[in-house]
Amino acid sequence: MTLSFKPQETFRDDFSYRNSDEAILRFPFPFVEDSYMYSVNIEPHVKGGPTPAFHAAFDVDEHYVAECQERAIVLAQDPSRCKVLPHMIEAEWDTLELIMESLAADYPEHFSLTRSGTAWTWENRPLGIRDSFTFGDATTLPYGPFEYITRQAQGDFTLQDQRDDNLFVDGGMITCQADWSLEFNIGMSFHEWHGPVPLAHEKGVFDRALKYLLRLQNGQPVRRLNWTMTVNPRMDTSPENYPLWGADRTTVTPENVGRKLHLRVELQTLFRLPRSNAILFGIRCYLCNLEDIARVPKWGKRLHRVLRDLDPALEDYKGLTRYRQTAVAYLSRFDDGADLSLGIQPDVDRL
Amino acid sequence: MLISGIHSRPKYAGLRVDRSGTHHIILSDTPRDIARMVEGLEPAPGPTEVWTVVGACTVTAAEERGPDGSVVRRAFRSRPLMFDMLGHRLARESMGLRLYAIGEEAFLWDVAALARSFGVDGDEIQLDHAGSERRRVFCVHCRAMTENVRTNIVACVGCGAHLTVRDHFSKRLAAFMGVQADAEVRGDLPPVEEIFR
Repeated sequence: MTLSFKPQETFRDDFSYRNSDEAILRFPFPFVEDSYMYSVNIEPHVKGGPTPAFHAAFDVDEHYVAECQERAIVLAQDPSRCKVLPHMIEAEWDTLELIMESLAADYPEHFSLTRSGTAWTWENRPLGIRDSFTFGDATTLPYGPFEYITRQAQGDFTLQDQRDDNLFVDGGMITCQADWSLEFNIGMSFHEWHGPVPLAHEKGVFDRALKYLLRLQNGQPVRRLNWTMTVNPRMDTSPENYPLWGADRTTVTPENVGRKLHLRVELQTLFRLPRSNAILFGIRCYLCNLEDIARVPKWGKRLHRVLRDLDPALEDYKGLTRYRQTAVAYLSRFDDGADLSLGIQPDVDRL
Repeated sequence: MLISGIHSRPKYAGLRVDRSGTHHIILSDTPRDIARMVEGLEPAPGPTEVWTVVGACTVTAAEERGPDGSVVRRAFRSRPLMFDMLGHRLARESMGLRLYAIGEEAFLWDVAALARSFGVDGDEIQLDHAGSERRRVFCVHCRAMTENVRTNIVACVGCGAHLTVRDHFSKRLAAFMGVQADAEVRGDLPPVEEIFR
């Protein structure tokens, strides 16, 4: 299917971001059943899955151009949203190769890569980029290799170094995050950077996840879904800019909740990198407002049940306290109590 | 709200001389009874120095030897002078040095960061918290550091925001995270309480 990009969309100021019907149907709805609690919900990142969002190594959708522009705006204001510790240079090149190869293979109409030894030419037609460079020589690119390629990809990325039987977040491109700071967290071990997450430590989730990830193999990436909620389709909900977006949380009313409140889903992918043995962690962010979610009957009902019954510790951690009841009341009108199928697939093929 | 129980909070288990080291430097941010606070100093584990910040501008960092000559003591006017000397020292160090730091948390992790920049890391350095619980707070909005914070809410020295001091600690920054407390409703602040004594 040919992608039609929407370069005029914005994720700030007038918030003109919208999902087409096709984008709604491919949304990676995160709830497999009617309730939610943390688990090590990791599965192989193989092509194919309940919606087309799972059909590529790095999913590209109608928001691609607008999200790359949004990233450029954030970096122009705060260049340190991309930061990589110096010992990760090999992982930077690994990342560039993996993303270029994947995009060119999955979307040949939009991206191409020509390799002749270390002389590479990369063409990104949606963004109008064509660069020839020497693989391994950072001076031949306009940015470091990691920044160069992640400026041309949707979603945030971190680089994990593996040493001492642990993973350390030693680099990242973080411009569309759900309230965590790269500047604060860079260099932390796996348990340290997950420190603020409630309940999951006690359940042993991070011990098991770390054990699993330390054994991650090259060529066998894995994925999981995570979620929160965001008022307005704002990508940059960083702690750095919380003084700019915090007040949004007080603006949700019964009248505007359907359009204003968005389910924010992260399709998280993990790739072992071949030369550096580091792990690339992709955090691809999708936003869909409640009104659009409810156009898929199964999703509207299920989201109502999940939010209604959510553990209070998660409500607080995810920042839902001020508007959760408004959202539950709004969604209740779509929920007739019917049994719903297991899994996240929409169960309809048109809206 | 102070979010507690966060797992990035370091844990400290006391200092114990590592006899696999050939020589030892113990750093303290204020005068303390080091013989009582560091386990295993008797019998002497080899050349050992005790460096102490005394906070007075009349001392010098000259070596002072104890009665048996085995322990060298140095007194420093301030932390910056101690760290300056430590940097010069680590630049010339060989294998076998063991570092021990005891004091307030910001001091400990400043020592650790300096040591790491000279490749002294892992088992070669031990840290133990002693003294006040007051915190160094990193403002996540403006990146300024506010020192010696004793309260749940503090005005950032950089941007003036009223920061909630979270229990989330960065060893790299040697600081806890501060996040604007009233970003959602301006002026809606909890009562200020002294909680880091």
